[in-house]
Amino acid sequence: MSDYEEAVVNSSHANLAETTETGNILVVNGLRKFFPVLGGILNRTVAEVKAVDDISFSVRTGEVLGIVGESGCGKSTTARLLMHLIPSDAGTIAFDGQTIGGDLELRGMRRQMQMVFQDSYSSLNPRLPIEDTIAFGPKVHGTPADEARARAHDILRKVGLDPAQFIRRYPHELSGGQRQRVNIARALALEPRLLILDEAVSALDKSVEAQVLNLLLDLKLELALTYIFISHDLNVVQYISDRVLVMYLGKIVEIGAVDDIYERTLHPYTQALLSAMPSMDPDRRIETPPLTGDPPNPINPPPGCRFHTRCPFSEVVCATREPELAISPATNGAAHRVACHMRSAGSGHTQAPA
Amino acid sequence: MSRRALDEKQQATVDAAQVAVQSRGYWATVLVRIGEDKVTLVCGAVLLVIVLSVVFADWIALADPYKADMMKRLKPIGTPGYPLGGDEMGRDMLTRLLYGGRLSLFMGVTPVVTALGIGGLLGLVAGFLGGRVNMLIMRAMDVFYAFPSVLLAVAISGALGAGVGNAILSLTLVFIPPLTRVTESVTTQIKNLDYVEAARASGAGNLTIIRVHVLSNVLGPVFIYATSLISVSIILASGLSFLGLGTEPPEPEWGLMLNTLRQSIYVNPWVAALPGLMIFMTSLTFNLLSDGIRSAMDVRL
Repeated sequence: MSDYEEAVVNSSHANLAETTETGNILVVNGLRKFFPVLGGILNRTVAEVKAVDDISFSVRTGEVLGIVGESGCGKSTTARLLMHLIPSDAGTIAFDGQTIGGDLELRGMRRQMQMVFQDSYSSLNPRLPIEDTIAFGPKVHGTPADEARARAHDILRKVGLDPAQFIRRYPHELSGGQRQRVNIARALALEPRLLILDEAVSALDKSVEAQVLNLLLDLKLELALTYIFISHDLNVVQYISDRVLVMYLGKIVEIGAVDDIYERTLHPYTQALLSAMPSMDPDRRIETPPLTGDPPNPINPPPGCRFHTRCPFSEVVCATREPELAISPATNGAAHRVACHMRSAGSGHTQAPA
Repeated sequence: MSRRALDEKQQATVDAAQVAVQSRGYWATVLVRIGEDKVTLVCGAVLLVIVLSVVFADWIALADPYKADMMKRLKPIGTPGYPLGGDEMGRDMLTRLLYGGRLSLFMGVTPVVTALGIGGLLGLVAGFLGGRVNMLIMRAMDVFYAFPSVLLAVAISGALGAGVGNAILSLTLVFIPPLTRVTESVTTQIKNLDYVEAARASGAGNLTIIRVHVLSNVLGPVFIYATSLISVSIILASGLSFLGLGTEPPEPEWGLMLNTLRQSIYVNPWVAALPGLMIFMTSLTFNLLSDGIRSAMDVRL
């Protein structure tokens, strides 16, 4: 029995267990990353870009968590922090209940957690044949060369590329969709349990995007994967996600099941995002832009609620006090949380529930 | 023909083309492209002839490069027994050009190769580690940039004294800064690409990442730059010898020969120009060859 078949069998047991009460594969607590802005003759820190500011969330085993938000809201920084590609300033990340860097070694974590990058071109070494690119990870972790190569062939077949035809090819000989499949194969070569997809399909054209999305869903079932799916494309996120996390200027503004977010939207920012979503239906055409202007500078984010400068419902309380990400009385279930004074009882906002 | 059949036929052509492309690897593609470039091929051939005849000078040369004959001084090109004439001491020019090329090529290649090793390593470290290490190394290199390269070479070998070893040492020092800078800038670019980040995400250490992912991508551009430096090095080495800082007479060397034949330029200009012509040919072919390889290696065009 191959490693993969074993993984599939094991995972189906895991899936059964999880239907009763899902375990969290990843728990993020108080994660923060400020990038220093250096200036002056002594290169001192004169300001900080608050890229990710104190966010906490968890990812359940076997789910797809979508992360959406405008560009510059901290989606990719979050992904890089989760992968420990850049050090975090504060906060903990626990994988399977083990704190990374503490109980779980970084190297061990990297076997379990992999990432697919957005730019399929720059994420493949142009001088390395596809086979070597995919086999690189297993080799680093001590798999013998020919075993790693065999695994590369296996995975290449899984992502829908014929090994006989592709192993000796170089990235420049592949199309965009093929390259992204290779990227997915490279990430899967370490047999991870959690895959972070950072805008993994954004650069592909629509038909290829659909193929890759379906491939991702198939692989998820087959290999019992958990996805964190980062995208700015709300249609794609709706299609693939179980739960959605909405970010604005380094903060989580709303998190909940995909239907709650898309149909029972609570946060004005999420509403604005959703109404900006292009639709195929001419009856749903909108004439006015739902939101104007750019997000404020993350170097000096506005006080209080960070969205109040662009929010149509902004009141005095919004500019002074920061809303907490909390369960709202307006929601039907416990899993839907929002950071808005309008949804929080006794916040002082005129539209707040009593 | 039905449309479907047409599509299938087209698809078959595309597949065949893909198989053709796929069947050769990167370096094979580069070779094919060089083969299509006439200028590069001719330059490569000329350079090969020069290098081979210089290396096998012992078998080709007709006379002793040191044997002077006062009666044969400054004979014109084509004198029997002196195919390329005689120099100011009556020595056979062809023989001296062949033996002189040994030293000239050696003094051209050695400094660049040594500097490539040292500068390449420094640049790789500076580029990959970045931050303070980068600043330390690169600012130290900037000090060397304050002097023009010719002046720096003359100053260093002047301070160390004449001789082949000192000339090579001074040229090496001159070539380390530019090679460090080129390697550093290429490494910095590559370090920030996603595939290096992906390699790090798969748990590889710095050394493995440098070996597998950085080196192979840095080496190409740096190597090409170094090739173009060889012609500069040949000219500088000849210049040093011309100034009396490199080889010393009666040792044959193109730059030195150019210097000693200088006085005879009115008596026999053709013979006096021969060493200069050799320097010119060698550096030109080196330059054009490195240009050709550069464009052939840009497969992504």
